[in-house]
Amino acid sequence: MIKLKNVSKFYDPNVVAIDDISFHIKPGEFVSLVGQSGTGKTTLVKLLIGEERISRGEIFVGGWNITKIGQSDIPYLRRQIGVIFQDFKLLPKKTLLENVEFALQVCGKPMAKIKKIAPQVIKIVGLENKMHRYPHEVSGGEKQRTAIARSLVYQPKILLADEPTGNLDSINAKEIIDLLLKINSFGTTVVLVTHNRDIVNKLRRRVLTLHEGRLVSDQAVGKYII
Amino acid sequence: MAHFLLSLGRVIKFSFQDVLRNIWLSLITIMILILTLSSVNLLLAVRAISGAAIGTVKEKVDINLYLRTTAEHDKIMALKAQISSLSDVKEVRYVSQDEALSVFRQEHVNDPQIIEALKELDKNPLTPSLVIKPKNSDNFNDLINELNKLESPIIESRNFEDHRLMLSKINAITKRVSDTGFVVSLVFMSITLLVIYNTVRVGIYTHRNEIAIMRLVGASNRFIKGPFLVSGVIYSLISMLVVIFGFFLFLNLLQPYLETFFTGYNFNIISYFTTNFWPIFGLEFLAASVVNMLASLVAASKYSHV
Ligand SMILES: Nc1ncnc2c1ncn2[C@@H]1O[C@H](COP(=O)(O)OP(=O)(O)O)[C@@H](O)[C@H]1O
Ligand SMILES: [Mg+2]
Repeated sequence: MIKLKNVSKFYDPNVVAIDDISFHIKPGEFVSLVGQSGTGKTTLVKLLIGEERISRGEIFVGGWNITKIGQSDIPYLRRQIGVIFQDFKLLPKKTLLENVEFALQVCGKPMAKIKKIAPQVIKIVGLENKMHRYPHEVSGGEKQRTAIARSLVYQPKILLADEPTGNLDSINAKEIIDLLLKINSFGTTVVLVTHNRDIVNKLRRRVLTLHEGRLVSDQAVGKYII
Repeated sequence: MAHFLLSLGRVIKFSFQDVLRNIWLSLITIMILILTLSSVNLLLAVRAISGAAIGTVKEKVDINLYLRTTAEHDKIMALKAQISSLSDVKEVRYVSQDEALSVFRQEHVNDPQIIEALKELDKNPLTPSLVIKPKNSDNFNDLINELNKLESPIIESRNFEDHRLMLSKINAITKRVSDTGFVVSLVFMSITLLVIYNTVRVGIYTHRNEIAIMRLVGASNRFIKGPFLVSGVIYSLISMLVVIFGFFLFLNLLQPYLETFFTGYNFNIISYFTTNFWPIFGLEFLAASVVNMLASLVAASKYSHV
């Protein structure tokens, strides 16, 4: 599903963010990507969604070689990969439901389809009672669930979650992880970027550990080691 | 096709939201567009009016060749025939001394002093003349040169400089006004470009979160850049409508003055603009939209990669 071959990323010749990384994530896996701050985790996410250019090596997403992806193809890549971030990235002047609908609108989906899909994904994340509220009227966990709902509107095969619990307390964090597991159980490949030791250790799933831009360990049932 | 219309409808909706959200910036953009379009239209009006003015002056112009009172009739007729054969001459009319006097009397019938003065003279003070109508007023200068070359003892005076002066004066004024208008229009156009560019830049800045999210969820470029292009058309349309309204109001105020100036001539500035409505205003709208869209496109391409 996701395959990296000797991938490197230099922001400039002196800043090596990713240093010769190779790994393969199979369809339906739930993988945690861990490592200290500044070791290149977010950079890796950006390479996967085509936001940064790959300096060296090759990346395949669902069999598609995105190494030299063109600007006009990026929208299609983005619709196949759902992404969520620590800071939710919701529009404050839209309700939770409208935030989800927005993702469909700006890709030119017909109204009838939008009205059908948006409430469905809202329901998957368990926000059907709060979908008419604005982001500032709900908790951090609910904002993140809205972001997850939005990332699901195109039924992506991959969900990338870059520190999704970074702004949440442990109860909300657990709910988000449970939701990611639920989405994974439907068959979506999930990559969870985190540096939360407890979460990683309780998950008992595959763990990739990055250190200073290098892949230093890849364990099938991993522990947080750094 | 249905998909395209759906997208277009949504893009138009987004761009109206943009226009309203940055309402002050939109108003400034529209103001500067109005100034630009007005200056272009004023330039057109000046050209139309001066064109008509030159036409009427040329129409009015007859060239008078004054002859000696002693000139014999057959020599005058010979000269008349010679001038008639010139290629630029449409018609030559002989005005005898008596005829000139009666025309003069007619013209000054309300001026008793002059009539009195005429009576005191025992001789007809006027000279006979040949009144020459040029065939084509554009070749006026050629004709004058030819007439100046004529050698005949019966010619008393030829003074054509008045006509020449008047025409060149009108031409000079027209040229100066047109040139100024052109420069002013150009200046306004450049300001428009800068203002539009800046409006789009600020628009992108205020929408940077939205644009970032759009990119993130895989919005196609037409949804990201499209609204800015459509805003350009909206600005042009609003400004054009305001300008058309204001300009015809102005023309209505202007027309009475022109009527006194062009008495006897069929010149109406309002109908000039109504008969040429689409070539003038349609083209201006098109040009303004294209300029707006280009400026928007450049700004959007430069700043929308967030
Ligand atoms: N846009 C950028 N330009 C230059 N350097 C960057 C940029 N983004 C990240 N970096 C550098 O790349 C390294 C990895 O950053 P990042 O991928 O954000 O790490 P992480 O997400 O693991 O904290 C850091 O040293 C960071 O300073
Ligand atoms: Mg990071």
